Amino acid sequence: MRERIPSFLFQSPSSDTFRLEGRSLRIPFLEKGLNHLAGMVRTIYSQWDISLREGIFQKTDARIKVFIFPFFLVIVSLRKEISSEILIALFILSLMWFSRLPLLQLYKKILFLSLIFGFLIALPSALNLFNDGEILLPLFDLPRSYLFWIYRVPDRIGLTREGLYGVVILTLRVMNSISLTFLILYTTPFPQIIRALKVFKVPDSLLITLFLSYKYLFIFTKSVEEIHLAKKSRLLREIPSHGARRWIAERIAFLVRRTRGKAEEVFKAMVSRGFSDSIQLPETEKLKSRDWITGVCLLLIGCVLLWI
Amino acid sequence: MCFVVDLIEIMEGMEKIIRLENIDYLYHETISALSDITLDIYRGEQFAIIGANGTGKTTLLQIMNGLIFPSSGKLFFKGNEVMKETLRDKGFLRFFRERVGYVFQDSDAQLFCSTVLDELLYGPLQLKISKEEALERAFEIMKMLNLEHLKERPTYMLSGGEKKRVAIGSVLTMNPEVLLLDEPTNDLDPRTQVFLVELLLALNEAGKTIVFATHDLELVSELADRVAVLSENHRLVRIDSTETILSDQDLLLEVNLIHEHVHRHGKIVHRHLHFHPLPHKHED
Repeated sequence: MRERIPSFLFQSPSSDTFRLEGRSLRIPFLEKGLNHLAGMVRTIYSQWDISLREGIFQKTDARIKVFIFPFFLVIVSLRKEISSEILIALFILSLMWFSRLPLLQLYKKILFLSLIFGFLIALPSALNLFNDGEILLPLFDLPRSYLFWIYRVPDRIGLTREGLYGVVILTLRVMNSISLTFLILYTTPFPQIIRALKVFKVPDSLLITLFLSYKYLFIFTKSVEEIHLAKKSRLLREIPSHGARRWIAERIAFLVRRTRGKAEEVFKAMVSRGFSDSIQLPETEKLKSRDWITGVCLLLIGCVLLWI
Repeated sequence: MCFVVDLIEIMEGMEKIIRLENIDYLYHETISALSDITLDIYRGEQFAIIGANGTGKTTLLQIMNGLIFPSSGKLFFKGNEVMKETLRDKGFLRFFRERVGYVFQDSDAQLFCSTVLDELLYGPLQLKISKEEALERAFEIMKMLNLEHLKERPTYMLSGGEKKRVAIGSVLTMNPEVLLLDEPTNDLDPRTQVFLVELLLALNEAGKTIVFATHDLELVSELADRVAVLSENHRLVRIDSTETILSDQDLLLEVNLIHEHVHRHGKIVHRHLHFHPLPHKHED
């Protein structure tokens, strides 16, 4: 073998020193995206870890949570008073507290999402351009009012009391809905959520497809991360954008091939274990009295929040 | 014993090429993958990192290649600290990457160019070597690894052994001083395994430092000068000469690298610690 080794492999680098260039390597946007994908898996992992903690909501059966969740979403959507929405927010906060969730970390996300999908989206509706109302904060004055298509632009434009009330209500509704979603997601392992969906008579085939997809997400992101590291290990200089795009396209093709191969393997494994055309998930355990009590309590609290 | 003393004396005269100091690594900021790892690797040695599945071998190799960074502790290459900040500098990045090559366990992940030839050319072209020289290197490597007939083939249409050879070739065309190999013989047929061992021995003779992670003790006995043993609690249990480590059955049993094996010889059921290079007697 030794005589087959090419001569260049016997050469050592001319020097053991290097010159700092003082310039950093620019990582293309597409590659940063790959890193974020890996970060997403880390989030899923921490969610799994938290859902296994000893907390009041973690101990509750997933079916109760899955049933109660839409009920509370309806309550959140029906209430029209700020005080009621605040009360609901406090109730969810207390559940999170008793479930030992990382409140600061979660509320950072909740408030950010509420700001984007609640406050900022609803804010223009607070202007008297869309609905009349008592102007609380005048923004600017025009020489006269204008008529444009079906809209009337008044001579004084500002934020109205009714508009601001609507914005606050909508933001609180969004915040409460997101908080409820996080509460369920962070206190229930995903496979349990999937099984609990049987309560709503979701077909088993759909449930198993969802479960397999979720499982594959981990394998997929691991592959993506490995691909990223493999490139990083041979990356010595910046790659032009078109090169990065080409690389990403090739890697996507590779992942599609691998995903298809994996799907075929999973199908064969299912066939070898007796799969024909229908899927039977194991029957879930009966609800414990503790779960019934929790469910009834949550229903009663929900009714109180609905009617007060 | 005499061999161990000799080995220590030899090591003292050699240049440290990689140094790890008190390395800890946490996955997802919670699960410990490595705990308090300190070790030195010397220029020109063949160094094995062994441990059962999940002990942190791959993580350790990836840290050595500056692909991931430890939660605490330091990595030095030729006396220069390797960390996220230093690797951002183009000068240091080039210095480090052209000297340390990494062969992944999963060749599919490593091979990202369209054809075998493109794969072999990628590294040298990154190094800004002229196209003629890069081609020369690629063809020499193909000749050495018996890949010439595959040069235009897409990498996904290769067999497992061919992929592994291309993966090694893609690193060798950059002519690194240090080769890090993760489970190099995994999923390879016996003939390809023998070829790989011969290749790595020859590369070592050519002056390359070989560091590999494995739980294949046969490979260790054939290839390594020194061995670092990782335990299932992700700590470095011992670093010693290959002979010393492989003859310590208690240690290998403790770190789950050998196991008690029950099998039948004729009518006799026979029980012994299982690891092929270890001689064992068949009792009557």
